[in-house]
Amino acid sequence: MDATVKTHLIAQEPKAPAKPLVLWRPTATTGLISWLTTVDHKRIGFLYGVFALFFFLVGGVEALLIRAQLMFPNNNVLTAQQYNTMFTMHGTTMIFLAVMPLSSAFFNFIMPLQIGARDVAFPRLNAFSLWTFVAGAIVINIGWFHPGGAPDGGWFGYAPLTSKQFIPRHSIDFWVMGLQLLGVASIAAALNFIVTIINMRAPGMTMMRLPVFTWMTLITSFLIILSFPAITIALVELMMDRQFGTNFFEVSNGGMPILWQHLFWVFGHPEVYILILPAMGIVSEILPTFSRKPLFGYPIVVFSGACIGFLGFAVWSHHMFTTGMGTVATAAFALATMAIAVPTGVKIFNWIGTLWGGHLRMRTPMMFALGFVWMFMIGGFSGVMHAAAPADSQQQDSYFVIAHFHYVLIGGSLFALLAGIHYWFPLMFGRKVSEFWGKLSFWVIFIGFNVTFFPMHFLGLNGMPRRTFTYDGNMGWNTPNFIASIGAFTLGIGIAIYFAVMIYTYFKGEKVGRDPWDGRTLEWSISSPPPAYNFAVTPTVHARDAFWYEKHHKEEIAKENAEHAKAEREHGGIHMPHQSIYPFIASVGMLIGALASSALDSNAGQHKLAFAITGGVIMLVGIFLWSLEGADGYHLHLDKDGKIVEDPHAKH
Amino acid sequence: MRLFSLPPRSARRASFGLAGRFALVVSALSLLSGCDFNFWRMDGPQSTIDVAGPVAHSQLQVFYTTVWVTLTIFVLVAAVLTYATFKFRARSDADEHAEPPEQSHGNPLVELGLIGASVLALVIIAVPTLRGIWFTYDVPEAEKENAYHVTAQGYQWWFRFEYNNEQIENVGQLTTSNELVIPAGRPVRIDLRGMDVIHSFWVPRLAGKVDMIPNRANHLWLKADEPGYFWGQCAEYCGDSHAVMRFRVIALAPREFNEWLEQQTSAARAVQAVAGAEQTKAQFASYRTDWKRNEAGYDPNFDLNPLENWKQKQFPEKNENPALVAKGRELFQAKTCFSCHVVRGHFVGGSAAYPDLTHFGSRTTVGAGLLENNSEQLARWLRHPNEVKPGNKMWTEGYQKNNIHLTEDDIGALVAYLESLK
Amino acid sequence: MSSPAVSGPIDHHQDVTTSTGIPNKKLLMWAFLASDCMFFGTLISTHLVYRLYPPAGNPNPTEIFDIALTSFSTFILLMSSLMMALAVNAIQKGNLRSMRFSLLTTAFFGAIFLGCQVYEFWHFVVEKKMTITNSILGTTFFTLTGTHGLHVLIGVVWLMSMYFYSFSGRVGRKEAIDVETMGLYWHFVDIVWIVIFTAVYLLEYL
Repeated sequence: MDATVKTHLIAQEPKAPAKPLVLWRPTATTGLISWLTTVDHKRIGFLYGVFALFFFLVGGVEALLIRAQLMFPNNNVLTAQQYNTMFTMHGTTMIFLAVMPLSSAFFNFIMPLQIGARDVAFPRLNAFSLWTFVAGAIVINIGWFHPGGAPDGGWFGYAPLTSKQFIPRHSIDFWVMGLQLLGVASIAAALNFIVTIINMRAPGMTMMRLPVFTWMTLITSFLIILSFPAITIALVELMMDRQFGTNFFEVSNGGMPILWQHLFWVFGHPEVYILILPAMGIVSEILPTFSRKPLFGYPIVVFSGACIGFLGFAVWSHHMFTTGMGTVATAAFALATMAIAVPTGVKIFNWIGTLWGGHLRMRTPMMFALGFVWMFMIGGFSGVMHAAAPADSQQQDSYFVIAHFHYVLIGGSLFALLAGIHYWFPLMFGRKVSEFWGKLSFWVIFIGFNVTFFPMHFLGLNGMPRRTFTYDGNMGWNTPNFIASIGAFTLGIGIAIYFAVMIYTYFKGEKVGRDPWDGRTLEWSISSPPPAYNFAVTPTVHARDAFWYEKHHKEEIAKENAEHAKAEREHGGIHMPHQSIYPFIASVGMLIGALASSALDSNAGQHKLAFAITGGVIMLVGIFLWSLEGADGYHLHLDKDGKIVEDPHAKH
Repeated sequence: MRLFSLPPRSARRASFGLAGRFALVVSALSLLSGCDFNFWRMDGPQSTIDVAGPVAHSQLQVFYTTVWVTLTIFVLVAAVLTYATFKFRARSDADEHAEPPEQSHGNPLVELGLIGASVLALVIIAVPTLRGIWFTYDVPEAEKENAYHVTAQGYQWWFRFEYNNEQIENVGQLTTSNELVIPAGRPVRIDLRGMDVIHSFWVPRLAGKVDMIPNRANHLWLKADEPGYFWGQCAEYCGDSHAVMRFRVIALAPREFNEWLEQQTSAARAVQAVAGAEQTKAQFASYRTDWKRNEAGYDPNFDLNPLENWKQKQFPEKNENPALVAKGRELFQAKTCFSCHVVRGHFVGGSAAYPDLTHFGSRTTVGAGLLENNSEQLARWLRHPNEVKPGNKMWTEGYQKNNIHLTEDDIGALVAYLESLK
Repeated sequence: MSSPAVSGPIDHHQDVTTSTGIPNKKLLMWAFLASDCMFFGTLISTHLVYRLYPPAGNPNPTEIFDIALTSFSTFILLMSSLMMALAVNAIQKGNLRSMRFSLLTTAFFGAIFLGCQVYEFWHFVVEKKMTITNSILGTTFFTLTGTHGLHVLIGVVWLMSMYFYSFSGRVGRKEAIDVETMGLYWHFVDIVWIVIFTAVYLLEYL
């Protein structure tokens, strides 16, 4: 692209003043309204993070209750139904309400900074994703406060158990509608990220100069837009069965429950990579930074990420090796699954290659990142064991599988996300976590995690099935279960320390300036916490580790930036998007609609249809006003120190 | 005959307790819960390691292959990672502020070499995997003739077994519940059917699981090399009481198996009243009533020689009280039990969707492999099925719908009657 | 791709300055359509799976379908795509009047298609006794074609909104991208219908 040709289009400044059709253009910068109407990717990322960490704690409490029940044989802490609710909600919460939004928090906060953008491509759509995510989280959890109860059909919701015949309670409706909203939120956010990464890179930021985390964001986003439709349609079909009496999974009319499994896992397996790829991206940022050398084999790491994403769509049936698919299908999916081990292994090799010859600084983020490599390796190896279908027929739905995916999801995803919080905390809040407390929390979490999940390998091989609320004392399962529970409480303490330290640091932590880790990517080039406009001057990228290059070519960059700053001033200054309330209103409409259709019962004289239509109308009004108010914004002008010299809202 | 046996625990615990400081701390903690440290041997009743048939054996071999290959890679990679971590660690402040190392970007040769090596390692796993897939799928051609056919059906939350080859006049094929008796040394081909939701048929020591899915014809095959008593369990979440949906497989030598078939195909046993008025007077036993939820329903002694105990169960009990049995039989009708449960020769009103009780007394478990079948546990089950197995149909569709209330005397009589059904 | 040294300012809310040169809105729509492909792919697979394994007692589709009417509505929908293309062309040249006419015709054709579908549904339910609950065929057929109908309805509402909005004087050459994006959506809905028409209707007559 050659922007010089297009300057005539940009030179149409000043823009038309605020349009008469617009009812309200919020300008608050503090207070509740500012948060509800924000379109700033950093604030949205922060909110994603806060909600995700809250639900992470909720899911953690559910996990501890599960472990309390299983601590002893024939134990009696929870009833069968409570236990089934706990594991359903633990899975659903951790996947959809904790790990995914926590990744999303980093996508939002970090990715635009890494590509040198001032915001995402569609700031208001971004706000809509956030609030729709919150709406979905509310619907899924509303069952705790409703006589229908919280969902208890398993996070996988296999038909026909989830049909009205077997679970007539509203619990499944909450799960269905909640996941639908989360699907909408995820797809909208992913579309936004795709456009942002492809279209909003700073000059010189070619695709092969993108930081690996941004690459993984892009791949994850593609996985989301291509895999979520499958579960959305599956949920629509289940919803129609439950609400309108259709026959998708109705066995007596010829419905095939196996279809649900296929649709669910066509989504479910890419979902696994949606959870792990961002984590791999974070680790691929942290290891080079703290080794003080570039990522080993960048093109191969990127390519293997894409490869994992692509192959991820071809292996879903390895979750169904026990469903009697026949020999050929089983063999094909087994081989495809093994093939995925290659790009995954390649990443591990490259991370070790990154360490090799570096100057490793053992800061807390580095500890978590190394913990990730170790734990992910173990989880990956037990994954290869599942790929061997005959072995899997013994391991499927046993505690061996639980051990495997917790090594991948806690030891993998979560360790990397916790590393990411430590790593980017100074950038986000301008404060740094104490190394002592950070490392202490790491070791408690690391030990607690291993003590919890390593014994589960033995449990699984010794025949203990998953999702069982009780077991007898004569099965040889007592000791591993007891150890696992002790480990779980240790892990809980570790997480508690981690959170306490983070909260303390947020308010009272040691203040740090720009770039405390000697970072390599563009996000470290701005002051912390980052200003609303991110970059005083849109950076120009000359190399893969853009900021590292800047630091070693200071004069050249300073000269270039000065020129660009001048040009930008001449063309009207920094463009900022307006805040908007309409995305929030549209999400509220969806929340009302989803609550009405899941929690109300038209037979019981409740006005289900009326409330559902009200929700729909609110949503439509929100969307119409959203499009009518337009995507325009205002301009900022900065002085030499980066201070805003004009009141941004005075102009219009 | 090789049955699973519980190892002599106390001796091993002592020898293992010395293994290290950490182990001591943990063992001190675990003594509180009566733990043992044999779990790493993984030889429990549902072990996938301590296998007893060719299918499970083949699956185990594939597993071992994956273990050795991945363990080798793990050791190599972990060694390099450990070395790199320590070798290149910044040890001092000076180290940290030294000039940054060479900014190298990778080495294509090393990377391609490693990719090639991983592909090779996977081929080592893939070959036995493929062989295992075909072997475990169906009975081998050479043994097809000899295979014994059974159909297993999964209901919420129990198993029903149909013996397709054993026809009973005027009734149809032989059916049993929750205890599958098979001939040892012969391949058994089991057709799997899900009757309401998805269940999964899993007897770890004999074969990996295959799901029982509604509207889908699945099957598996297994073979018990020797006679034995095997624990099985539903392995797909199927609702409230999934955890207590269990079953047993009993493998018998050919002659014993035929004897068993003969006994099962005959109608339910009728207890004859014995002469002498005093003996026939109904003597009510008193049973424990203070069961806690999820309290263990088995006797540790049973596990020491389960197959022998199962065999004992095939014979009528010595101290039967004919009058009590007769009273129980009346109650079985009066309390509408017969409208669901078949007792061939006594009551025919039942349906296939509920367990057949014709030879109930010869089974070793009650409530789908959950409780041991003895008077005490049976009384516990009858008194309050929902406490034992939440949401079960005997409670929701039987006791609740038909407003059934049982006194302790009723329970005593029903227990006597049911236990007499050998 | 961006050239390494760009002298102009970067205004991210002017689509023309994007890294690839493709406007953001257009890229968003393309990505969304990729996602929508998967939605329809899932629904069509569900329908086809149940056509491959029809349960006993499933009605015979050829006795229910009215292929003449559906062919007609398919033709109308294809014609609407032509009008949509004309509308995009008109606004790119700044011809507002011509665009309005084409938009209206597109929406009108879309409405005819919807009318045919409503009639078809009514006909199937009342006269052929195939409802969404009484057979698998009814379940998958009504869900699939109904979802498509919903897409057409959204398209018609969008077209009409744009039509009325164009009278506000705020639609000009610069907003051509908005009409073009809408056009992408409309063409996609048409293409999906061709796939559905082939898979659901025509295949039954082979």
